[in-house]
Amino acid sequence: MKEWQTFVRKFSDMKEGKRELFIKDLAEGPRKYDTTHVIAKVSRKKTAVKNPDKLWLRSESGIRYPEPWYISIEKELPEYVEGKPWTSVFDALDVAERQHSKSK
Amino acid sequence: MSYKSHRDFFEVLDKEGELARVKKEVNWDVEVGAIGRKVYESSGPCLLFEKIKDYPAGFRISNGTTGTWPRVALAMNLPKNTSVRDIYATYEKRLEKKIPPVTVGNAKAPCKENIMLDDKVDLYRFPAPMIHEGDGGRYIGTWDAVICKDLETGWQNWGMYRFMVHTKNWLTGWPQSTSQFAFIFNRSYRPLNKPMPVAVVLGADPMSHIIATAPIKPFEDEAACVGSFRGKPVDLVKCETSDLYVPAHAEIVIEGEVMPDRIAPDGPFGEYPGYRSGTMSNGIAVKVNAVTYRNDPILTMIALGTPPDDSSIAASLSAAVAMKKGLLRHGVPVTDVYVPPEGVTHLIIVGVKKGGAEIAKKVLDYFTLRRIMTNKHIVVDEDVDVFNMGEVLHAFATRCHPGRGIFYEHYEGRSNSLTPFYSPEERSKLKGVSVVFDSTWPPEWPPEIVPVKASYKTIYSAETQAYVEKNWKSYGITKK
Ligand SMILES: Cc1cc2nc3c(=O)[nH]c(=O)nc-3n(C[C@H](O)[C@H](O)[C@H](O)COP(=O)(O)O)c2cc1C
Ligand SMILES: [Mn+2]
Repeated sequence: MKEWQTFVRKFSDMKEGKRELFIKDLAEGPRKYDTTHVIAKVSRKKTAVKNPDKLWLRSESGIRYPEPWYISIEKELPEYVEGKPWTSVFDALDVAERQHSKSK
Repeated sequence: MSYKSHRDFFEVLDKEGELARVKKEVNWDVEVGAIGRKVYESSGPCLLFEKIKDYPAGFRISNGTTGTWPRVALAMNLPKNTSVRDIYATYEKRLEKKIPPVTVGNAKAPCKENIMLDDKVDLYRFPAPMIHEGDGGRYIGTWDAVICKDLETGWQNWGMYRFMVHTKNWLTGWPQSTSQFAFIFNRSYRPLNKPMPVAVVLGADPMSHIIATAPIKPFEDEAACVGSFRGKPVDLVKCETSDLYVPAHAEIVIEGEVMPDRIAPDGPFGEYPGYRSGTMSNGIAVKVNAVTYRNDPILTMIALGTPPDDSSIAASLSAAVAMKKGLLRHGVPVTDVYVPPEGVTHLIIVGVKKGGAEIAKKVLDYFTLRRIMTNKHIVVDEDVDVFNMGEVLHAFATRCHPGRGIFYEHYEGRSNSLTPFYSPEERSKLKGVSVVFDSTWPPEWPPEIVPVKASYKTIYSAETQAYVEKNWKSYGITKK
């Protein structure tokens, strides 16, 4: 099972369901921690997502949540999210998520 | 002994017994950071990791080039045992002079020995370290110098800001929104919605990095300041993909563009105040268009954290001298300013010829005028050696009136969000507060009522001291 890592401000910010996230690849080797921007299904429960990978959460202070979540990547997006320098990436992801759910 | 480049400087450090070469293979993922941290915390040597896991022989990582006062002295071509006071004085004097840089062609620029362009760019070919366990990414830019250009004047600013590898050809970073990097972006590029060319330089002449930490004024040329320290011009060479000029002897130069409408996560990172706090994902994204590097490049890392390390030492020097100049311009009768490395530019000691409430308020005014990196300021009289924290603490404890001698100022939009004690809300609005502890005697007290310091030098007359000195041997006290 592949392992990924993502950052949230507080653990309680992480919501289950279809999410737009930046995730980092934890596979060993020179490309470890490479980032992918994705739309993915995430859940606390392994059984709630198809072909799950592990997803480790870290907080804004870099503290790791003791249990992994589970993730199944649905779509890869470009390296960035639309937004002006010195604005919040989390806010930009929220806006992008709302747009996806509207356009559905 | 003088040196030309970062690389030569390691030879100087080696000769002076200030360098440890680590030949055993080490992991870029946390291990080099942990070793670097442990060595800082025991005042150990500069480190050169010569074999890095996952990377070919020759690709090296350094830690702590100028992480102690003796190594700063060596970088300034001073004897290793130069006192902090004398290092400050020499730095202040050399900064007055400017020697403009010269430009050289690619053939004379070792940083062009290897060139990776456009779709060949792959940042994963460099052993960017995961410095602390739990950081937001691999920080390739810690001990760097970041260059960008103001369009109207052509001025190229140098500053030191963190940058991490986001993907093989994107960096993210966090020059604060109060930095000169942001100043240039906001005035030259944001209005046009244009990308801003940027160069992240690793392993230039050690003074270049110290000067990159300095709050040199807008439109002043940092390269000319470095020239003054070297006693001869710095060689600069043009970037491959922009008209920025970078130190020709640098180890690695990453050329890219700050995107005006795209962002990506940066941080968190174990930062210079000595904590990893919630500053993250509020910075900039850089698309990388080229990397140029020397053969067998050295990636200059600092395993940043609790003081002292390269950051708290460099800032102690570069910030203090800038503050002294600024305070003098602001009409404060300063004798010296000391930024104790343990206070990580949060705590500043200001020595004055004449103290009192008016002067204390002027000091507070100066420190809260523009971008604010500091928050606690102790003002002491001339009889206190600002470089001696024992004396400073004594004066603070005994001369600062808790009711009359403490002055605050609140502000918004220009505080330092890395300050660990600010709440998430304060950080997001750059709200802050600064305080001055007036630890001077009120100037309105008649001299004859000012408490006399009961130390050997101050409470005994010259005659008594001379008498004691003359008879010293006869007392049979061996310790002088
Ligand atoms: C090791 C180190 C890392 C730093 N990282 C940052 C950073 O990530 N962002 C920032 O705004 N300032 C950072 N600073 C402080 C700046 O280097 C300093 O404010 C400098 O004056 C910036 O240049 P400027 O005046 O041209 O903006 C750092 C300083 C040191 C010593
Ligand atoms: Mn600058």
